[in-house]
Amino acid sequence: MVNPVLLIAVPLGLAFALPLFGLISKRIVKYIPVVAFIFNFALALRLIPDVLKQAIVVEIGGFPPPFGINLVAGPVGVLFSALIALAGLLVAVYALAYITEGPKEKYHMLYLLLLAGATGVVLTGDIFNLFVFFEILCISSYALVAYIGDRAGIESAIKYLIQGAVGSSFLLIGIGLLYGLFGTLNMADLAQQIESASSISVFVPMVLIITGLGVEAAIFPLNAWLPDAHSSAPSSISAILSGIAIEVGLYAVVRVLFTIFGATNMFMFFAFLGVLTLLIGEMCAFAQNNIKRMLAYSSIGQMGLIVFAMAIATSYALTGGLFQLVSHTLGKGLLFLTAGYMIYRSGSMEISAFEGMGKRMPLTSLAFTIGAFSLVGLPPFVGFPSKFLIVRAALAKEEILFTVLIGLVLLGTVIEGAYFFRVVQVLYFKKANGNSERKDAPVAGLIPMVVFVAFILVMGIYPQLVIEVLNSAASELLHRMEYIRSVLG
Amino acid sequence: MRAIISLFLISVLAWGIATALNEIPFGAAKTKVGEYYIGRGKEQTGASNIVTSVVVNYRGFDTLGEVTVLFVAAIGLGAVLATRRKKEKRDVEPASLVLYTGCRLLFPLILLFGAYIFIHGHLTPGGGFQGGAVVASAFVLVYLGCRGRRISETASKTVESLGGLVFIVVGLVGLAVGGGYFLSNYLPKGELNSLFSAGIIPIIYIAIGFKVGSELAGVIDHLVEESE
Amino acid sequence: MGISNAFDFLQNHVYYIGSFGLIFIGLFIMLVKHNLIKVIIGLSILETGVNLFLVSVGYISKGTAPIFSKSAMEAAPMVDPVPQALVLTAIVIGVAVLALALSLAIRLYHHYGVLDLRRIKELRW
Repeated sequence: MVNPVLLIAVPLGLAFALPLFGLISKRIVKYIPVVAFIFNFALALRLIPDVLKQAIVVEIGGFPPPFGINLVAGPVGVLFSALIALAGLLVAVYALAYITEGPKEKYHMLYLLLLAGATGVVLTGDIFNLFVFFEILCISSYALVAYIGDRAGIESAIKYLIQGAVGSSFLLIGIGLLYGLFGTLNMADLAQQIESASSISVFVPMVLIITGLGVEAAIFPLNAWLPDAHSSAPSSISAILSGIAIEVGLYAVVRVLFTIFGATNMFMFFAFLGVLTLLIGEMCAFAQNNIKRMLAYSSIGQMGLIVFAMAIATSYALTGGLFQLVSHTLGKGLLFLTAGYMIYRSGSMEISAFEGMGKRMPLTSLAFTIGAFSLVGLPPFVGFPSKFLIVRAALAKEEILFTVLIGLVLLGTVIEGAYFFRVVQVLYFKKANGNSERKDAPVAGLIPMVVFVAFILVMGIYPQLVIEVLNSAASELLHRMEYIRSVLG
Repeated sequence: MRAIISLFLISVLAWGIATALNEIPFGAAKTKVGEYYIGRGKEQTGASNIVTSVVVNYRGFDTLGEVTVLFVAAIGLGAVLATRRKKEKRDVEPASLVLYTGCRLLFPLILLFGAYIFIHGHLTPGGGFQGGAVVASAFVLVYLGCRGRRISETASKTVESLGGLVFIVVGLVGLAVGGGYFLSNYLPKGELNSLFSAGIIPIIYIAIGFKVGSELAGVIDHLVEESE
Repeated sequence: MGISNAFDFLQNHVYYIGSFGLIFIGLFIMLVKHNLIKVIIGLSILETGVNLFLVSVGYISKGTAPIFSKSAMEAAPMVDPVPQALVLTAIVIGVAVLALALSLAIRLYHHYGVLDLRRIKELRW
């Protein structure tokens, strides 16, 4: 049987070995991430049939939990690992042609480590280990945001770093309090003991941990860093930050809330917070003229929608929320990648500079349009079934409050539609002034776009391909007793 | 105004934490995990320093992550400062003979002390990170005392990579031979309290010592270069 | 009576008070100071406080270091080794964040010539 620990160990090992490859030949360095994520994606797909039957619990060092660290490769973990590997692979292919300047070897190392950290976060079953991998994810993204090294990049990296570091400290205080209270760091063991002690003393570490993780997950009001960081990073990194990093942050929040604390009484609050995040994100996105800031604010809005879906906490809603997460990764990844080359071509991040792109870069523009339509939730793209599931789950609650909230969510979607259609209109229906030579993105840039589009279309038309995995992932999150039993026996 | 709001926020936080701390009496024995390690650590890992057995063996995966965090920071620092490195070399005033000779004398001694600390990590207080930090301090001394000397970037990069690879490979070998567990302690445990004991722990700590030493030295190298 | 109670309280909680004192001082500095280096110093103080807190969680009254170097020491209770291992990790992570923050501060200074965060406002919020 294949061991899920390879999902973490192999990218880490390749990242450590990358300078040695660099000594042999500078040219092969950029192919290492591609190799790593082909391996990871294949391994994750190979694991899916096994984990659908039963979650695989890996004991590191051979010590039984709670004494050793363990990995829990359940449906959630493997779903996220596959998603990380897929997005990682496509963006690594994109970066082959896109990253041409700066310390390239360091870029590829940081990129590999960022995604290895993300994989560690989603697989680990130990809260302190989660903190460590979370830090790998965060620190490498601070450095990558500053990769271009211009004023905006450095400034947003430092903002991101300071807010992230305070968040991490809060997370660590929360973990320390939990250890003091329960004497264990294993998430299943914590979950088992917390059932018996629900009081203010458990509430405080929970708030600290959620606050710490919420900075990375971009939940309002902890998301001040996001628009700057996502818009100043290189576009390939923006795609990963928007498509993977904040999703992983959200995963950590959800895991802590659902599995460790089983905090059902908090869900109403998170439903409100989600809708608030959604509306603020979409309204700010509407006001932007800078394409990358618009996409970054749109990510905040999408996170709000996913938080709302998770907070409904029914099986349908969690399936819908996870589906929305997948469709956001695909859609936003595609949008940032296409925007990267459109910015490169027009030399400006202003939306108005993209006039006539439909003729100048037809394939890229088409891919952008598909990504935008998918995020808005138009059929036949993947955004449609995911949003549909969320709406249906909220209505199935048959509570007046959720009906009102879903009304607000739909209002958010309308705003989203408005600003995405505005961009599409600029792409196709405005005459380009000046240079209108037809020249698309290079092949290494087009391949990942085409693959993203293929995934968006296929999953949109045949959602049943993934729905089984999503369903069992949702039930893993909902049934914490099963999680505890699968780890502790 | 800002100070008042901050004070208010902090006092809310303080109140919350104080209520939680009420439940955690100071100095009370309370953790079953800790007792397990103290009771069983000697037989299970063969290390007489239980903190080391927790760091490298029971929670070895954390340590792998920790090594990676430092690696990330070293690379990130290099990437952030990289674009400014093509400055012309300015002449630095050479250090006086006494300072120069003193630093050269102390340099190997400090390295030896650092190596002692990370080789004996499983027996005495200390370990790879502490020893690595001592090793890096030897390089600080050289930078301050024998100005103009630089470590070779290729060498430090190679040591860094090899240190990390040894950790991963030792862990992966455990998958094959150690009962199928990543990072399991499959080497003979030896006699307690002797240098050759505790299986894979000294090997990993030596690798970490080299890695941390070269990483911190690299970080110092970048920062020193920037300040000149 | 009152004084001895207060003394007892202090004796039992002095490590918590000290560590959270450092944490709150660090947070306060980060919230009110505008100079980037001072903010980074605040972050460092905050992290030190967190580390101190983790160690004090693991303390057991009259405990010694958990090292079996002499068989005579085994009779005495030993402190919890787990928080010490966690602190080792947390210190290294703190160093990593600090190093990166300082390198960013150096670059920021090269760009702007100042470290006052009020005057570094290229980006809107």
